[in-house]
Amino acid sequence: MNRRVSLPPAVTRLMACLGGSVVLAMMVGRQQGSQQDYGLAFRESVLDVRIIGFLLLGVLAFLVITYREVVTPYVRRPGVRPLVVAVLVLVAAFFLMKWYDPLGDGKFGTLADAVAQTSGILPLAHVFFGWLWWVALIGLPVGTFVAIAIRNRRLAWIMAGLSVVLAVLTLVVHARSVAFAGGVDHSFGATTAFIGFLILAGAGVVAARSQEETAKTRAFVEQVMAYRPGLPLIVLGILLGLLALVLATWLAPRGDNLTLVDTSSLFSGSGLDGLATAVLGWLAYVLFAVVAVLGAAAVWLRSRALGWATAAAAALSILAVLYTLYAITDLAADQGYGTGTGPWQNLGTGGWVLCIALFTVGAGGAVAALQFQGRRGPEGSSDGVAGRLHDAGRSTTIRSLALFGIGLALFYPPTASGFWQQSLSTTIGVYVLLAIGLNVVIGWAGLLDLGFIAFYAIGSYTTAYLTNSLPVKPPSWLALSPLWAIPIAIAVCLLAGVLLGAPTLRLRGDYLAIVTLGFGEIIRIIAVNNPGNFTNGPRGVSDPVPHPVIDLGFVRFEWGGTSLQYWYLLLVLLAIVIVLFYRLEGSRLGRAWAAIREDEVAAQASGVNTTRVKLMAFAIGASTSGLAGVFFGSQVGFFNPQNFVLNNSILIVAYVVFGGMGSLIGAIAGAAALTWLPDFLRDQVPAEDRTMWIGAVLLIMMIFRPQGLIPARRREAELTGLAGHDIAARPSVQAIPASEGV
Amino acid sequence: MSEGTSERVLGDVLLDVVDLQVRYGAITAIKGISFHVNRGEIVALLGANGAGKTTTQKTVSGMLQPAAGSITFDGQRIDGIPPHELINVGICHVPEGRHVFPRMTVQENLVMGAFRFRAPDQELLAHVLDLFPRLKERYGQQGGTLSGGEQQMLAIGRALMGKPRLLLLDEPSMGLAPLIVEQIFEIVRSINVDGVSILLVEQNARQALTVADRGYVLETGELVLAGTGRELLADDRIRAAYLGEELAS
Repeated sequence: MNRRVSLPPAVTRLMACLGGSVVLAMMVGRQQGSQQDYGLAFRESVLDVRIIGFLLLGVLAFLVITYREVVTPYVRRPGVRPLVVAVLVLVAAFFLMKWYDPLGDGKFGTLADAVAQTSGILPLAHVFFGWLWWVALIGLPVGTFVAIAIRNRRLAWIMAGLSVVLAVLTLVVHARSVAFAGGVDHSFGATTAFIGFLILAGAGVVAARSQEETAKTRAFVEQVMAYRPGLPLIVLGILLGLLALVLATWLAPRGDNLTLVDTSSLFSGSGLDGLATAVLGWLAYVLFAVVAVLGAAAVWLRSRALGWATAAAAALSILAVLYTLYAITDLAADQGYGTGTGPWQNLGTGGWVLCIALFTVGAGGAVAALQFQGRRGPEGSSDGVAGRLHDAGRSTTIRSLALFGIGLALFYPPTASGFWQQSLSTTIGVYVLLAIGLNVVIGWAGLLDLGFIAFYAIGSYTTAYLTNSLPVKPPSWLALSPLWAIPIAIAVCLLAGVLLGAPTLRLRGDYLAIVTLGFGEIIRIIAVNNPGNFTNGPRGVSDPVPHPVIDLGFVRFEWGGTSLQYWYLLLVLLAIVIVLFYRLEGSRLGRAWAAIREDEVAAQASGVNTTRVKLMAFAIGASTSGLAGVFFGSQVGFFNPQNFVLNNSILIVAYVVFGGMGSLIGAIAGAAALTWLPDFLRDQVPAEDRTMWIGAVLLIMMIFRPQGLIPARRREAELTGLAGHDIAARPSVQAIPASEGV
Repeated sequence: MSEGTSERVLGDVLLDVVDLQVRYGAITAIKGISFHVNRGEIVALLGANGAGKTTTQKTVSGMLQPAAGSITFDGQRIDGIPPHELINVGICHVPEGRHVFPRMTVQENLVMGAFRFRAPDQELLAHVLDLFPRLKERYGQQGGTLSGGEQQMLAIGRALMGKPRLLLLDEPSMGLAPLIVEQIFEIVRSINVDGVSILLVEQNARQALTVADRGYVLETGELVLAGTGRELLADDRIRAAYLGEELAS
């Protein structure tokens, strides 16, 4: 008789946790053995001292699961979530990210070893790299957690203060060490650690300030944001600005790092024109001080006029800084100083960070101004003060984050490495566009489309045809520059959307997915089979797609010099697309999409023409792929059917789901995050492991946050003019899981 | 309660169905039936499962095409008009099984009902909320979180937001507790008093016939009985077939 041996559940669980930690150890370690030694990877990852750390993790997981009832009340306390985030960020910063490019693999450990062997460096650096970071990494989170657990306000404040000190210390020590060692450094380890410590400080503040019993971190953050709208942005901007003015490198012409003061002395008496000299010498400080004071005053006095004045002053200052950056690099190139051959080369991060700082402060002013404008309007629906404060907090939080994001998007890329600029403007940009389109079909209209990449193919081949890059040439009146091809490519994609939509209208769910999947493959295989020598088969386009040109007679600008030019073109296109689609979501058509997604029969009964609305979803969704096709084709110049494989279709679906189905910002964030991740991991983990880590991220995300990064919140614009009936509780009950299928 | 009904003005024929035939492929589901709804009337369409009630209803609301016969609404042929256009004619349809938008709030559901207008009629919205006080309580709640009865109320309220002249109700009592069913029919009556004609498809013959002015009984695609609500309620065959009463004789 074979009786099943039944172990007590605790033992099974412990074994599962330990097994999981061994798997994790193998994931983190080396993956392949060699011809001589097949067990090498296993031995290195498992039969090593480090396995103890992983086993401890497993035991910790076991304890947390087993004593969940005991742990839960602590986890629910205010501040625990930001604490967890902070620990994750710090661990990533210290163990995953690069700290100093020119040195070996650039990881923290390597840098710490190097610092230990170097004399003459800042004594603080020895302390920091020697033991202080260990103390900070373990001590501060533990201290904060203890403060939360025993509800000790004073300890929480102390921990928050220490975290801020450590944050600043990290940046200073890193900057001084890099300055000591020389060389250009694009790494983010220190910045990430800085952010991690700041989040930790935030956790401490939340714990110290919050009166609540359970987790209200989000509410607390919103309260802080609503307390003085724009204040967090102003503070952040001032911090960044100080960094830029005092520490950061402004010019690195010969591998040396010149701060603002150094740059100023370098250019004294070199024939630099008045404005730039003034900015370098004193105007930058004055401008920044003026903007900062204006912003602080606007926020503190809740003055709308001062808020707009801050924004205007910030805009002017940014122009002055940009002009200065142009002038100094142009002059340096002219005089053969450094390796630059034209303007905008060899710049450090300083100028750009100052721009981000100014933009952030200006944005803070704008947020303040907008908020006080809103207060005066006839908005006052009687939700009670708490509700209004909550809403105000939410809108300022979103606005602040969005504006800060715009600032980063505008001024951060120039400081990134060539690889990242390339990646930003090709993969990330294109897939963000595609995800915005697919979000219309899947997220808004609820139609699962697994062949979306086909529209991208159609857009790309249309572009190639119109720009004379395929064996079959268009009639001469139709041969266009890529920019003029945009409307035609979009029109063709709209048409293709209708053509695909028409036969699939009666299908739903799985059936629709299969049909669209087939459509995607058909288009790719047509491209491979090269009918009428139109597509040039698997070799891809026959001539490179030309770069876009703007030629107005008196000004002529041709793209193609650097990826950055494409990045700014992409920003303009994205801005247009986002504004249009944002308007679309709240429109009648948007509501009709929402209705057929929710319940088709009811939508029909409410007077929605389901046929037309579905066709519109397919067509409008497809239109962004036309744009992406033009953009990608002309930037890279070359593509072939391999770019349009099924895998890419599925990836776009994953981006949309990851970001949060039905949320425009979510789709953008999801696509950006998941296209960024592989490129990021390229530097951080062995190449063969990359996909595994991405899979792990997706899994964890779908288990713990199935609604996506930034889930859709039903927009309030849909409830037009119903203020009079605004009676019952606003916060809707979320009984339906957001994870419910498409 | 019959005072309310007697005060109403019953007018000429609003909906006229003549010799209607509907086929699902080779199967003829409706074998040539004729009935009409007068202006201001409540007409009940009764029948057992599979009798063709819902098929008739769906054909009237444009979701199915008739194989033969005609449907006239207010003097205008409406057979073949798709459902989303029918709402502009003045026919609103509450589908069987309470199709509410589960992840929209009650408010959004109601506003969606007024989709054919540029903006929802605020007075009508207030009126609908007065008609359904329960919906007022649940105003900010998502449709999918409501109870069955509340969902049915929401579905009816949503249809009213489209300002119908004829309301098609498909099995409003389905799967609801008797007490709720009574509430629903009470509301149906008051909607009718407001001047909306109603075509009611029901299995719950007793409830339907107490509110209906007239009723038709369908059996396997054919009309077998017609009469006023009171006549049908008293009819022995109805009592036997639908009310579960033993025949006295």
